Amino acid sequence: MTAEPAEPAEVDHRRHVSDYFRLERREIPAEGGSDQPSSMSGRAPIEPHHRGAGGGLRTGGLLTNLDSIGGLTSGLAVHPKWIVTTSLMATVSELAHVGPLRLRADVRRRGRASVVTAIEVVDEGAQSRQVAAAIMTCAVLDPGAMTLGFERPIVLAMPEPQTNPMSITDFFCIEPGTGPVTRLRLEDQLRNPWGILHGGAVAMLADEAACRAAAATSDEGVGTGGFAAADTVLHYLRPVKVGPVEARCRVIGTRGGRTAVRVAIHDVGADDRMVTLASVTVLTV
Amino acid sequence: MTFAGYPPPDHLLGDLGMEAEVASETTAKVRTRVTPYVLAADGGVRVGVLATLVDVVGGAIAARVARPDWIATADLTMQLVGPVLGPWVEARGSLVRRGKTTLVIEALVVAVDEDGDDMVVDGQIPDPVGWASMTFSVLPAQNPSSTIQMASDLPIRWSFTGDGLDAPILDVLPVTVIDAAAGRLSVPAHSYLHNSFGAVQGGVIALLAEAAACEALGAAQGGDGSNMVVTDLQIAYLALGKVGPVVSTVRVLERGPGGRSSAVVELHDVGADDRLMTVVNVACAPVGGPS
Repeated sequence: MTAEPAEPAEVDHRRHVSDYFRLERREIPAEGGSDQPSSMSGRAPIEPHHRGAGGGLRTGGLLTNLDSIGGLTSGLAVHPKWIVTTSLMATVSELAHVGPLRLRADVRRRGRASVVTAIEVVDEGAQSRQVAAAIMTCAVLDPGAMTLGFERPIVLAMPEPQTNPMSITDFFCIEPGTGPVTRLRLEDQLRNPWGILHGGAVAMLADEAACRAAAATSDEGVGTGGFAAADTVLHYLRPVKVGPVEARCRVIGTRGGRTAVRVAIHDVGADDRMVTLASVTVLTV
Repeated sequence: MTFAGYPPPDHLLGDLGMEAEVASETTAKVRTRVTPYVLAADGGVRVGVLATLVDVVGGAIAARVARPDWIATADLTMQLVGPVLGPWVEARGSLVRRGKTTLVIEALVVAVDEDGDDMVVDGQIPDPVGWASMTFSVLPAQNPSSTIQMASDLPIRWSFTGDGLDAPILDVLPVTVIDAAAGRLSVPAHSYLHNSFGAVQGGVIALLAEAAACEALGAAQGGDGSNMVVTDLQIAYLALGKVGPVVSTVRVLERGPGGRSSAVVELHDVGADDRLMTVVNVACAPVGGPS
């Protein structure tokens, strides 16, 4: 949910959200040393345990990578100020990715109060065709006395593969279930360096919850085997600090293999306040 | 009724004939009649017109909640799950969160009858036909005397009334196709399309993006835009378009299952040093396909 240029020592890199999808990130400084914001490139393989019903990287995973690279790009654009993601909007046209996926993030507007970054995703294994696009908006924050130190340009190498990989739902601590309500346990591995739930984990919860809700209302019955999240909008309203986290879905309607799902995500332990409002278009695949 | 002289007498919002009710401090609804001039390829209302409706209902709530400060739409999203057939279509908005610098509002889009009641089909009220969300930026009031005066007694009802459309809405704007395959379409920045800041209104931006995406995606599939329908729309408003013309460009993404396809539309204010105004993600489906 926030840029991550600094990584506290207590974070276990083998298990941290940013590394689960093995996203490599490289800063692309603006040409000629201008004061224009840097861009970022990213590259991530698609491991078998990352793939969903659509055949490629699950959209929740794709959104995790978008959140990571978009947040870093936005944060660098306003450094030494800080940022917090307020919305992430993605269209996902192709679900059956070959991989690896390559990402490119460019700042589209840098204002005093907000930064807007556009991110495109191409599938290297499919003639580098573009398979998704996203727009991230971040609010600019005053860091107060806190500072972040790091070397430029930023290069974060691709994390090593896990020897005993966990499934997506296990890694993201999403409890088994069916129907319109899905719950996530807020374990430490899901917190970002600022101690709050990573925006990618929120996205993955929205993906899983929406697919379960769509399945529950379909003629095909329960189970997410035949349902995959595609276009997704996330409005991050407040940080998730306590948990457990509950995604409560309302199916807006279904038409021709598309189900529109509204997802309200609540931090149950923090007076049940709504922390994210999302919409997910679920495809029958 | 108008807000501080907005919209002026000859204006798109008046010709769409919107009727509004602000029922509480955090909820409102706005409806418009469905006419043949606002329809898309599937016979339902164009997503750009629905976005205009949603923007108005969101603005009605946001302006009230944010006062004495001002507001501007920062982003707007829509998901459609059915053709919006009418006879009227209504957006029912409610406040989700009021922050210091932003407001988040959601809206359901439903078909209603002449009296504004839910349509009943086979003895049941159908599902909504769409859902929308918006973020509004809160702009600190620079001059207290410029603050919009609002009635304190609720509910408040008002309407935008004009002569009505007499031609398809894209012809009325008018939208000019420069290069269909590239999604290069143009619209002038004249007062008929202005918002209260004197720039091209957000709903018109949505209409142009819708038309541009349909043209380019239709061409990419070997046809034209006449059989494409937008199902998902995600708009980020970056800058005002005050000079014009506003011209679109489209980047087509890989086509998905069932002919579903996506595009990224960028809108530039050509007369203002070609400044990037808006980025829009659009998903479309062909009519007759799995839309």
